[in-house]
Amino acid sequence: MRPAVRETWIADRWSRGSGPLHSLDARVKLAVLIVYLLAIASSTVWNQTAFAGYAAILAAGMAASRLPLSALGARLLFLLPFSGIFALIAWLSGDTPRALALVEKSLLSGLGVVVMVATTPLEEIVRALEFFRVPRSLVLVMQFLYRYLFVIADQAHRMRMAAACRQGNRAGRRPRFQAAAGIVGVLFARSWQRADHVYRAMAARGFQGTFPAMNPARFRVADVVFLCSSVVAALTVRLML
Amino acid sequence: MHIPDGFLSTPVWLSLDAAAIPAVAWAARRAQTELERPDDRRVPLLGVMGAFVFAAQMINFPVGMGTSGHLVGGALLAITLGPAAAMIVMTAILILQALIFQDGGLVTLGANVLNMAVAGVLAGYLPYRLLGRGKARTGAIFLSGFCSVAVSATLALSELLISGVPVPRQLLWISVVLFLISAIMEGAITAAAIRAIEGMNPLWIRASQPLQPATVVLSMLGAAGLLATGIAIASSQPDALQALLPGQSEATSEGWLRRAALGLMAMVFLYAACLFAGRKIARQRSA
Repeated sequence: MRPAVRETWIADRWSRGSGPLHSLDARVKLAVLIVYLLAIASSTVWNQTAFAGYAAILAAGMAASRLPLSALGARLLFLLPFSGIFALIAWLSGDTPRALALVEKSLLSGLGVVVMVATTPLEEIVRALEFFRVPRSLVLVMQFLYRYLFVIADQAHRMRMAAACRQGNRAGRRPRFQAAAGIVGVLFARSWQRADHVYRAMAARGFQGTFPAMNPARFRVADVVFLCSSVVAALTVRLML
Repeated sequence: MHIPDGFLSTPVWLSLDAAAIPAVAWAARRAQTELERPDDRRVPLLGVMGAFVFAAQMINFPVGMGTSGHLVGGALLAITLGPAAAMIVMTAILILQALIFQDGGLVTLGANVLNMAVAGVLAGYLPYRLLGRGKARTGAIFLSGFCSVAVSATLALSELLISGVPVPRQLLWISVVLFLISAIMEGAITAAAIRAIEGMNPLWIRASQPLQPATVVLSMLGAAGLLATGIAIASSQPDALQALLPGQSEATSEGWLRRAALGLMAMVFLYAACLFAGRKIARQRSA
């Protein structure tokens, strides 16, 4: 399995833990994340003090998440190569502020998303998207997609292993290419059939087109306090520093 | 090809986000009318197919010299599910990739959605729809996969360039060559996968409906003309945005607002033009 697929399981397990950030409403967390990301994205390249401010906000969020810091930091390795290359180019061409800003912006934004995903189950995030008027068909597709993602990824992994066992690595490029195409075809067929079974099973259980929430979300005082304080913090950094 | 946060300049991400919202809303409305039919099995189908694309991206195709590539899936989805549903599925995939794997940012989501879910799916659907019948069928499917990746990559690259991300000339050529290779691979993989799927159940593939040859030739000439103009502008003016919007100074705080407004106006104009052209073509066909 691709390491990134296993990685999500960890974030998924983290998101079902408990902590000050975990217990907040997903809609509030999503709104705060968007404000924070927009503030970073619209900051100018030269404003280094602002980036220090965003880093402080992020550090507060990471502390409140009570997650293992080293594991959160490990996610940086996924983000670094791409922004690192471009930052290096900018730095070599003498544009040091841009190079710094590229790395800072992508890391601060990426870590913000990681903190969000590691403290909120994905179903709740998708439900929050529905609250923000994301079209219902898109929300439904996302819910089914996340539900069956790992099932089908495991199936693909098993089929790949089976193909490798059958052919070894002595086969030429052409037959291996054909075999991979065959795997994709069979995986497509099995997914289609699985969707059919899923539909019948859900129709039999009275599926009406929406997933009912296990525990309906409600705004509480802590949510309002968190929303106001973090939005004010992000806007202060963006507009004042 | 996923653009992370921090790479696009404010006018670029702002206008692309603004442009992505109506595009996704349109696709969602079309998909929604399909979903709301009674006894429709497409609700779980689209989600499970999204999971399929996620999983299919894990399967390595040998390319040669020890390297391997994988399917991207935009053209495959468009050929099997139709363009509107494929756009929704690709958008869902991009949102989940941004959330789970930090593949692409959330602020740049609009850019990624436009590049891969809207333009990539449309570019992957049109060649099949127009040419996918008769002898040239396999070639048309190859072309679908090729165009889907080539268009997405070109858009992503030009957005980075417009944003002022420094890309030296050599790196630009290297990335163009890499994009071409991956586009060729996507074409070959899509053609092979579609053939395998069709062998199991031909009903899983949408029928292609060729247009009149004259329309095909005309639209191809139009596309070639647009491409040539774009290349001409790009090569004569290193900073395309500066050339397109004369009289603009450096990116000051008021400057980007005006630029964003101009970009939005251009987008609205483009939408209106496309809507008008679409209506006209539809009326002609029904007449």
